[in-house]
Amino acid sequence: MSWSMVMEHLFMVLLAVLFTIALGVPLGVCAYCFKPLRRVVLWSVEILQTIPAMALLGIIMVFLGAGKATVVIGLLLYALMPVVQNTCLGLTEVDPGVREVARGMGMMRFYRLLHVEMPIAIPYIFTGIRIAVVISVGVAVFATFVGGGGIGRAIYQAIRVHDVPTIISSTFTLMLMAIGLDTVMALAEKRLYSRFSPAEK
Amino acid sequence: MIRFEHVSKSYGGTLVLDDLSFEIAPGQLAVLIGPSGCGKTTTLKTINRLIETDKGDIYVNGRSIARLNKVELRCSIGYVIQQIGLFPHMTVEQNICVVPKLLKYSKERCQKITHEMLELVKMPYEEYAHKYPNQLSGGQQQRIGVLRALAASPPIVLMDEPFGALDPMTRLVLQEEVRRLQQKLNKTIVFVTHDMDEALTMADTVIFMEKGRIVQMASPDEMLRNPASDLICSFMGKRSLNNQHLPQTVADIMRDKVVTVTKDHGVRASVELMSRKNIDTLILTNADGSYAGVVSVDRIKRSGKGYKTVEPLMNRGYPFSYEDEDGQVAFDKLIDGGVNYVVVLRRDRTVAGIVTKTSMARSMAEAVWGNGE
Amino acid sequence: MTDFLEIYGRQIAQAAGTHLYYVLLSVAIAFAVSLTLGILLSRAPRWANIILPLLSLFQTVPGIVFIGLLFLAIGIVPATIIIALAIYAIFPILKNTYVGIIEVDESYREAAKGCGMSALQALIRVELPLALPAIISGLRMSLVYTVSWAVLAAMIGLGGLGDLIFAGISSNNNALILAGALPAALMAILCSLGIDLLRGILIPRPLRRDVL
Repeated sequence: MSWSMVMEHLFMVLLAVLFTIALGVPLGVCAYCFKPLRRVVLWSVEILQTIPAMALLGIIMVFLGAGKATVVIGLLLYALMPVVQNTCLGLTEVDPGVREVARGMGMMRFYRLLHVEMPIAIPYIFTGIRIAVVISVGVAVFATFVGGGGIGRAIYQAIRVHDVPTIISSTFTLMLMAIGLDTVMALAEKRLYSRFSPAEK
Repeated sequence: MIRFEHVSKSYGGTLVLDDLSFEIAPGQLAVLIGPSGCGKTTTLKTINRLIETDKGDIYVNGRSIARLNKVELRCSIGYVIQQIGLFPHMTVEQNICVVPKLLKYSKERCQKITHEMLELVKMPYEEYAHKYPNQLSGGQQQRIGVLRALAASPPIVLMDEPFGALDPMTRLVLQEEVRRLQQKLNKTIVFVTHDMDEALTMADTVIFMEKGRIVQMASPDEMLRNPASDLICSFMGKRSLNNQHLPQTVADIMRDKVVTVTKDHGVRASVELMSRKNIDTLILTNADGSYAGVVSVDRIKRSGKGYKTVEPLMNRGYPFSYEDEDGQVAFDKLIDGGVNYVVVLRRDRTVAGIVTKTSMARSMAEAVWGNGE
Repeated sequence: MTDFLEIYGRQIAQAAGTHLYYVLLSVAIAFAVSLTLGILLSRAPRWANIILPLLSLFQTVPGIVFIGLLFLAIGIVPATIIIALAIYAIFPILKNTYVGIIEVDESYREAAKGCGMSALQALIRVELPLALPAIISGLRMSLVYTVSWAVLAAMIGLGGLGDLIFAGISSNNNALILAGALPAALMAILCSLGIDLLRGILIPRPLRRDVL
């Protein structure tokens, strides 16, 4: 395992997660706003996550060929479910009383969504993103089979040359990466709240 | 029936039960009451050994419970808790039959018991037996909770603030019902509450506790007449005798916080409102706010299908009186009519409140002992 | 298309059979083990603060690691892949069983006790049924992930649908990739639907709470 493999892995994961957020949050909002769409959207992202990662990467590879683009898109699709689901869930969980008050004060739909519902849903969305990150770190191991490199390559090579210490150390690296990213997200979430918290007023 | 002999219990150095001795006679409804932390719930839970005592003995039917098998003991004592604790994954029938099943009764016998039990609270078997708890209103759930405790006909039933989570009106109805069941089935009931009205309405014997000791154990009458301590007085909300205001009109003895809706309220919305407020009856008004009648959740459930509004289901003949009438009028209607409450109207026929046995007892007591202000 | 099925049909069927065999056997083993372990662990709810993070941590270990290590330890036999997948599949079910049981509301436990149930009766009649939705969703996770990691059986020459995918990748044959990937996707979706069916049978309707 080399440093560059770790960075490669991290790069793919972070890029994919960025795309997942960029696509997943709006999708979740759409699913929440347009009820007829909700079932279709939620069902589609669930199916995407059900498809075995290797199969999904294989199918994408048919169109895009081997390489990092395939991996990033695969991870993006694979990690979509928790983000979309949690965004939609967080929005539906907003207390009907709060929603009514906001409407009663004469807020327009979009304004309400942006200033009342989204802020309340943020903790759910964060949870979704954290799950997406942890999933991506694990699934990115498959990258090596479609020419994307990363820590999966280290593990695969180690298995072929019977190098148990490398397998173990790679595993620890993966675990560390998952926990590390998760912790960073948790801290970011906390900071975000403290900016809104009444204690600062 | 139940005898405590020098029972003590402490948690980490603090004494919660302090050398407790008393006896509850068979067929009595004894209410344990007192401020929070007085040990009333602990006392209750030692009877079915959910809590073990440190010192002393408790005898049930002359036998020391410490020597009985815990499971057998609990099967022979019904238990009702405030959170109701109906198992959400079981139907009403399965919930009622939990203890009979533990006692390995036959299927037919269990079914028969369910029929009998639902009969007792006038909930038709066909309609309710196969429902799940979350399909019932709060009051109905706790009825089933009580039935579950009674199902294996235990001679003793323990109730831990069973109506604490219910709204006042449903609470009254259930108090009556439990009292009726207790007398009909001749059970010994130990009942914990922090509500003095509830204690005075229900009890044969009130046991007032403070700091793990009994301050006074007496009949409700006796306790009202000779409260043993200032704390009991303040619990009853009366301290001085110099309040000269005697209840004279209906308005003096009524409760004024009631839920009303117009009679064109939707059936479903009404049921939803009742289950949200945890009540069994709604008072209905005409569009101009004047009183129209009452409707009960049972009536809606029985024959509400096909109706849009509650109007056709309304009971127009329910007893009512005017607020400036003599209090005795409402009293007579309440007692003679065999109803749970009487609707009180203003002269312009708008709804002013309701008179219940508790509201009446409370205002009378206030008149006799003052309201402590 | 028909040509393709003529050439690869048998191969696909065989690979899918092997794949399914690995998945079902390993998940069955994992289910038995994790249910037992979950119940045992749930008797010590005080340790939840240690047990839960530990279980979550193990869930982050990729399946390839278990497969690789067991391959090095016992070689190329079907047991390698079955045990590796079973170990991987244990964690989701174990965690959900444990959480499901310890999150049963205390009032139900007290009611069960007050009704005179023994500890075992309370477990079987109250705690497990109430934990069932959580257990089943753990089972679904394990099943779906196991279908996914079983693709790597091909990596150590043990067949399954991965064979076709890997062969397709290394020979740049897109048809072959799809011949492995599509049935694998289908299998995972069917497994997931199967769990939904099971859930429908085991959990009474009023208790199914679809949040969305």
